[in-house]
Amino acid sequence: MKNHRLVPLVAVVVFFAPVRVIAADIKVIANGSVKADAISANEVKSVFLEEYNSLRDGTHVEPVLEKDGPVHQAFLHEYLGGTDDDLQNYYRALVFSGRGSMPKQLGSDAEVVAYVARTKGAIGYVSAETIGEDVKTLTVRGGNGAQRRLLTQVEPSYPDTLKRLNIGGTVRLRLTIGPKGNVESVEVLGGNPILGESAAAAVRQWVYSASHSRTIEEVSIPFDSDR
Amino acid sequence: MYKRILSLVFVSLCFQAGQITLQAQEFKLLDRTVQVHGFFSQGFIYTNDNNWLTMNTSQGSAAFTDFGLNMSSQITDKLRIGAQGYDRNLGQLGQYHPSLDWAVADYRFNSWLGVRGGKVKTTLGLYNHTQDEDFLHTFALLPQSVYPTDLRDATIAHLGADIYGNISLRHRLGVLSYTAYAGHRSDSLYSGYPYLASQFGIYYSRIGGLQYGCDLRWDTPLKGLLIGGSRMNEDVTGQGTFRNPINPGAGLVPYSEGAKADWTNQFYGEYILGKLRIDSEYRRYLRDQIIYTLALENITDVRGWYVSGAYRVAKRLALGSYYSRYTITSVFGGALAAVSPNQTDTSLPANHIDDKVITARVDLNKFWDVKLEGHFMNGYGSSTYPDGFYPQVNPQGFKPNTDALVLKTSLNF
Repeated sequence: MKNHRLVPLVAVVVFFAPVRVIAADIKVIANGSVKADAISANEVKSVFLEEYNSLRDGTHVEPVLEKDGPVHQAFLHEYLGGTDDDLQNYYRALVFSGRGSMPKQLGSDAEVVAYVARTKGAIGYVSAETIGEDVKTLTVRGGNGAQRRLLTQVEPSYPDTLKRLNIGGTVRLRLTIGPKGNVESVEVLGGNPILGESAAAAVRQWVYSASHSRTIEEVSIPFDSDR
Repeated sequence: MYKRILSLVFVSLCFQAGQITLQAQEFKLLDRTVQVHGFFSQGFIYTNDNNWLTMNTSQGSAAFTDFGLNMSSQITDKLRIGAQGYDRNLGQLGQYHPSLDWAVADYRFNSWLGVRGGKVKTTLGLYNHTQDEDFLHTFALLPQSVYPTDLRDATIAHLGADIYGNISLRHRLGVLSYTAYAGHRSDSLYSGYPYLASQFGIYYSRIGGLQYGCDLRWDTPLKGLLIGGSRMNEDVTGQGTFRNPINPGAGLVPYSEGAKADWTNQFYGEYILGKLRIDSEYRRYLRDQIIYTLALENITDVRGWYVSGAYRVAKRLALGSYYSRYTITSVFGGALAAVSPNQTDTSLPANHIDDKVITARVDLNKFWDVKLEGHFMNGYGSSTYPDGFYPQVNPQGFKPNTDALVLKTSLNF
């Protein structure tokens, strides 16, 4: 009979048990009507909080969410912060005060891809492995700066000839960083082309902290011939 | 045997509660999706001494009900329309007289400029526009020093228009959100102010007027930190009849009131870190009331502030606490000065309310919650302004301390 006394206790423990969050790699996808190929992490946040209904280029956007699950948890962690309860309460506050609508919330990656593909302006997120031919994948600039820390930094070499001739300046680079933190590609945005090559070669060896999605960072590297 | 049955019933209830789901409804109308959402809450309050919030709480009262239903639709990429009906009964207030809570057409040009018109919920501090939606908050009663539930009509909405927008600051300095509004406020005759006035023999037939103001809030670069301020100006008038309590045989005579000054300032901050939420707000409300065209004057200065913290200790359980401080002073002029002494000593229980609160909120599922809350109050603030404690339901007089137990449940879909 003593075991029966434990039943309510077990029920309470189960009822109040915290939920374990499972990490997943995600990507942000959009309907073909969205002109942009890249979007900042802050824009992602503003779109999903219904602060923005259009991007800077004027394209109308509409957020689409996944129902609770590892992909949704990863998205919350990466872009919005807080828990799913916080987010649902945020949407309810909009709905019940006349300031917004409850966004579409779908049950799987496949449903999100299908909805985004057929809905003008729709922006959603799915696991990184999901293939969606009728939607475009948006590159997210900036990521979550606080979490995308530079872990390994390799100094670029300064070509002797240029240094002797006092040719220096700052090189600007755009990096695409993979979910695991490796630099996948480097684009030279400005500065001396030879210094740019040198900087790019070094930056390809940099390692950032892991993230749930691919992000873009812009960095400036100075080459000072006086040093 | 009976313990076993109780155990089974308890376990069954837990699992049943977890499985009940309410689904928001949507349907198509003229090729547009219409969303339908609603909510319902029911409370019970027991106090040890003074009766509170116009209820007979010292005997235990469940006259604490409200509900609402809304429909909205995105008409175009930029235009959304919607409306919500609302009804409540809070002791002597509301009395199940339904109202149009909000009804808006909202046109959003872009992220930094939108316009909404119609009956619009007023932006004032963190929670004014969501104060009715119990399920959004950890606490069963928001801090009454800043969000007095008996005075919701005074701030809840205006018939007019807002302009609003969000401006993303450069250099990752966060987001500024602004709202500016102007419109007409119209109080229910079943709200706290007319109820309070009835003790003086004043019976309103209409109360309301111009309301305009602004709100600016900054979602700072420090993740989770929001700070802001609101300002509201009003030009509110009231008409009705007056029966002199000293000479009731004189019958009813016309009554009118206005104000030389009527404004509210509110400052606030919110910090969310994971499962922890900390809020603090300060509100000052000043009304220089003129009765019978300068014959009588009453300057009411109400100041309230609170600090609250809530922590979600498990997915279904949140615990919270707040400290709330309310003070009021009344200064009289004209003929009133001769019969009503000024009340400026806020250390007196008649001029303040300190409220220490602890709360447990249990989310049975995403749509249904239950809250249990304890209030430990000092002071009753009963004066010329509504603040929860009314002489009409406390004819024996007030005691300085009040402890209250609040039990409340809410459903939403």
